Amino acid sequence: MVIQPGKCTTTQGDMFSMKALSPAHIAQPSNDVTVRFRRASGSPCYPSHNSFREAAGLQRFMMAADSEPESEVFEITDFTTASEWERFISKVEEVLNDWKLIGASSGKSLEKGAYTTEAWEEKSDEIAFADFRFSVTHHYLVQESNDKDAKEELVEDVLPVSMQDLLCMNNDFPPRAHCLVRWYGLREFVVIAPAANNDAVLSESKCNLLLSSVSIALGNTGCQVPVFVQIHHKWRRMYVGECQGPGVRTDFEMVHLRKVPSQYTHLSGLLDIFKSKIGCPLTPLPPINISIRLTYVLQDWQQYFWPQQPPDIDALVGGEVGGLEFGKLPFGACEDPISELHLATTWPHLTEGIIVDNDVYSDLDPLQAPQWSVRVRKADNPQCLLSDFVNEFFKVCRRKESTDEILGRSAFEEDGKDADISHALSKLTEPAPVPIHKLSVTNMVHTAKKKIRKHRGIDESPLNNDVLNTILLYLFPDAADKLTDVSEARTSTSAGSLPPPDNEDYNLYIQFKSAPSDSLTYKLALCLCMINFYHGGVKGVAHLWQEFVLEMRFRWENNIFIPGLASGAPDLRCCLLHQKLQMLNCCIERKKARDEGKKVNSDRSSADTGKPDGSKESDKEKEVGKSWESWSDSEDEFFECLSDTEDLKANGQEGGKKGIPKDGSKETISLKPEGRLHQHGNLTLLHPGDPLYVPVTQEPAPMTEDLLEEQSEVLAKLGTSAEGAHLRARMQSACLLSDMESFKAANPGCCLEDFVRWYSPRDYIEEEIVDEKGNVVIKGDLSARMKIPSNMWVEAWETAKPIPARRQRRLFDDTREAEKVLHYLAVQKPADLARHLLPCVIHAAVLKVKEEESLEDISSVKKIIKLIITHSSKVLRFPNPEDKKLEEIIGQILSVEATIARARSLKAKFGVEKCDKEEERKDLERFVNSFLEQPEVSVIGAGRGPAGTIIHKLFMSAQRLTEPTEETASMMPLDDELKRSGSMDEKRMNLGSAADFPLPAGREVILRTTVPRPAPYSKALPQRMYSVLTKEDFRLAGAFSSDTTFF
Amino acid sequence: MDEDILTTLKILIIGESGVGKSSLLLRFTDDTFDPELAATIGVDFKVKTISVDGNKAKLAIWDTAGQERFRTLTPSYYRGAQGVILVYDVTRRDTFAKLDNWLTELETYCTRNDIVKMLVGNKIDKENREVDRNEGLKFARKHSMLFIEASAKTCDGVQCAFEELVEKIIQTPGLWESESQNRGVKLSNDEDGHRGACGGYCSVL
Ligand SMILES: Nc1nc2c(ncn2[C@@H]2O[C@H](COP(=O)(O)OP(=O)(O)OP(=O)(O)O)[C@@H](O)[C@H]2O)c(=O)[nH]1
Ligand SMILES: [Mg+2]
Repeated sequence: MVIQPGKCTTTQGDMFSMKALSPAHIAQPSNDVTVRFRRASGSPCYPSHNSFREAAGLQRFMMAADSEPESEVFEITDFTTASEWERFISKVEEVLNDWKLIGASSGKSLEKGAYTTEAWEEKSDEIAFADFRFSVTHHYLVQESNDKDAKEELVEDVLPVSMQDLLCMNNDFPPRAHCLVRWYGLREFVVIAPAANNDAVLSESKCNLLLSSVSIALGNTGCQVPVFVQIHHKWRRMYVGECQGPGVRTDFEMVHLRKVPSQYTHLSGLLDIFKSKIGCPLTPLPPINISIRLTYVLQDWQQYFWPQQPPDIDALVGGEVGGLEFGKLPFGACEDPISELHLATTWPHLTEGIIVDNDVYSDLDPLQAPQWSVRVRKADNPQCLLSDFVNEFFKVCRRKESTDEILGRSAFEEDGKDADISHALSKLTEPAPVPIHKLSVTNMVHTAKKKIRKHRGIDESPLNNDVLNTILLYLFPDAADKLTDVSEARTSTSAGSLPPPDNEDYNLYIQFKSAPSDSLTYKLALCLCMINFYHGGVKGVAHLWQEFVLEMRFRWENNIFIPGLASGAPDLRCCLLHQKLQMLNCCIERKKARDEGKKVNSDRSSADTGKPDGSKESDKEKEVGKSWESWSDSEDEFFECLSDTEDLKANGQEGGKKGIPKDGSKETISLKPEGRLHQHGNLTLLHPGDPLYVPVTQEPAPMTEDLLEEQSEVLAKLGTSAEGAHLRARMQSACLLSDMESFKAANPGCCLEDFVRWYSPRDYIEEEIVDEKGNVVIKGDLSARMKIPSNMWVEAWETAKPIPARRQRRLFDDTREAEKVLHYLAVQKPADLARHLLPCVIHAAVLKVKEEESLEDISSVKKIIKLIITHSSKVLRFPNPEDKKLEEIIGQILSVEATIARARSLKAKFGVEKCDKEEERKDLERFVNSFLEQPEVSVIGAGRGPAGTIIHKLFMSAQRLTEPTEETASMMPLDDELKRSGSMDEKRMNLGSAADFPLPAGREVILRTTVPRPAPYSKALPQRMYSVLTKEDFRLAGAFSSDTTFF
Repeated sequence: MDEDILTTLKILIIGESGVGKSSLLLRFTDDTFDPELAATIGVDFKVKTISVDGNKAKLAIWDTAGQERFRTLTPSYYRGAQGVILVYDVTRRDTFAKLDNWLTELETYCTRNDIVKMLVGNKIDKENREVDRNEGLKFARKHSMLFIEASAKTCDGVQCAFEELVEKIIQTPGLWESESQNRGVKLSNDEDGHRGACGGYCSVL
């Protein structure tokens, strides 16, 4: 095998030799490569090669004759003295063997479009040639192996399936495929290419060596899968290869040029090369089958300018909606997400002579092409609003600065916060509630701003008043209504008052661990997101947050509920920040109840007109529920403000002891029942026989998840010893003790059995026994475990004093908890805040995408959104999700947004909305949507169908727009279309609509025939040549088969 | 010493008061039965290391009080649990009837949707059985739970219950590896990035 391009004397008409090219093209920079592999015996470079190959060939035939494994012997002997090169060959063979690519290939001809619809797979391995590493990759179309039966029918000398594929016309011009598939129509092949980080194979001798190796390996193994070697720089996609079958061989050769020689720009020139290349000795030549595809690119969409602009927040503040509302995220692409339209006009099946296409004339009128198909080119990473929003917010997570550092000083540290706290504390001791009817957000804003200004010494803050006021009003709508008694505000704004919609979208917060979409937390997240994007970035975020924290403190101090939070204990399914706000509301609720109780009392003492729920008529107690409001009738002031900071958890028992009221003597003497909630069925006390009352009890302390974690850590730390367990129980017995005290207060004269019957009925065992007199009586007794001497229950019962809940020491120190929450809020950096709220933002983004999709109804997008939700809920439910995963989610949202934007762009371009006829519009809509799902969409009716007509018009108007810029056209009237012509086609006569289209950006031609080669008496074998001409390059890819037995 | 411990698993025991949750746990951790065990106040906590299929797992087991009044406190311990043992007393139908409530509570407060649930019918040593084994089985199947009957007193089924549960947790991917293996979603095969230099899949233009 000799490879001597340009040097050796060749048979005439070898178009793949350099000789065939004009000197002008040879002079092209080295980018132009012509590779010619000719086979002849007696290579001077690799004498062993030939003999090796002969030997291999011989061996194979022997094997075919009698399948003795002589090959192994052969290989083993050779291995001992193997050169690098021989080792390389055997490695190639090994890989081919491993992949089971040996032996006759089989398969039916493939269905139309199978290369696009079926899956392609690849297997890779690495092999070395000395210290140069190659990757070997097997690419193959995955086929169901139901053609096993077909295999049996195989006749001895049937052509390898790859050779048959050369002629198959069902998969010409696949929309997306490996280039070797496009060029040669192969369903399966192996590529040997330099491994990553290895240099390209540039020198002729190396190329030759590689191809020779392949040839030998194929011969040795009997592999019928074509094997290619990638040579030259990767980007040039230069491959040479070979396929072997019984007595036949196909050589794959290639020409790649920067500039096309003029004779190859048209069909007749290409036919000439093809004919001379196959060098068929027969006359007349068997017919040559021709397939042509011309591709036109449309870039000018000027008639449809892209309408979307980023919304303006100032418009919003001014009351205008302008595409943006608080609580609504923006959506859509800022630039056209569709950049090009590619129209492929195809003549799938022509024979020579039917059509004329030469240097002066062409029959190839795109409008007349029998097949049209279209694809769109998507803009790379179009700027999309929603994704930008979310991304920018996500970036805040990585900021390191504290709020104060960002705002430039520490206002709240100095007189801000400390003053607030002392103020707050002093307020607790003042009996009269502050008049709060003049609450206004604006006032608050001004105070906060003043503080900031004072410290910074500059008269600017990141957010201007208007923006800030608008946002605060949006977040705290109760503040707007100055006339409403703010104490009523809660019922009107709290989400708890409305039954939350029970639908999938609403409940998404459970999956995402965010917050309900109508909650303050969620709204805050959206506002911060918006502020971050439009108003001063992280500075704006810090500023708004500071205002928010001030508002929280204001509400705590003034007993104003925080709106937009479900009432009750913190919802552990929501994000921590949401829980904290709920916690603060719990604190406000209790403080408010207490303060109002005081107020009522002072009112009453002045005018002794008993309140309806006055406790003096104890039999008719009307205590409403277990809430703190019901304590407001307290006569004895006992609102211990716990300034002592002893640990609540550890002092359950002691608390009980300390909680003896000031006038405890009076209390213990009195047997007057107190704090009754209601009668407990018709149970009566065991001894006095009075009805058993369920007492009003203290609500257990609400907890946020971090507190719970802390608590469970403390509890776990006590260990598993008996003492540890005892201590643990004691720490948690505060609630039990409090309940016992309440019970004792409500049921004078009761005993532990009575308590257990209410509290843990299963621990009071009743048995029917027959007494001495023979009567069946029910005898009850405590369960064994309750009777254990000095168990915690007995112990607690003995300690418990009869004290109604309202006079007990508080189980929940709202003052302390509120201050803890407020402090927590104040120290959150913008980054912390962003992390807290990111789940809400992602939640909102997903809802937005869902909403937008529902307008377009794109089934593929629906599926992806579902996937995003499952994925996000997995990531977000865990604490501290990794950034990488969050980025992934945001990226997924971006891709959906872009897809929807593309659908809209396409609809606008094809004028779907403008289409009057219902039927036609539906068709068009379907056509347009299929762009999003298929790489290439065929146009029904080609240039004459409704879609084709629209496409034609699009091209026409684009042509008109570009025309005046061209010199030749500038002097002519616009509509003088006949005279117009492109530079390259200048001399060619244009027919019909050709002028409506630009020059084709791609010209692909496939020529095929079956002729005997190399001699007239050789077997007739498939021959194929593919050519593609684009603006950048020109390529000829030939597959020429020859008979290796009869030549 | 702890090096060979595969993971720490958080397990939760819930169910009506007096069904024998604490007794089961005591049997499992200390292999004793103490009839003098007080009713649980709040939550209790025990640790035990066990080996399942050669994997060592440290179990942090939270025993909750079944008492109505403590229940406001206990749901917080559902957080982050990988496994839960739901106990009823086969001699008290009312404890079986309440199982639905417990499951609802679990659903509401547990943070993972792939938590492994096991149903245990306890006190099978007693004679006055009120709940048939098949009923328990049916309930467990309906709610995709593991099921076993046991007796803390005689030791029947106790070890087995915990081991089964742990094995199942270990087999549930992503449950014990604190989620690190969440696979991303492959969205679209947008191969526009492959344009130009080839070797891969591409289009003509
Ligand atoms: N016969 C028998 N008795 C049992 C068994 N398990 C528990 N008991 C008894 O049932 C009673 C309640 O057991 P506990 O373990 O305290 O019940 P618990 O579920 O922890 O109850 P709470 O802590 O109140 O929720 C005790 O008296 C135990 O001795 C058992 O398997 N067989
Ligand atoms: Mg217990």
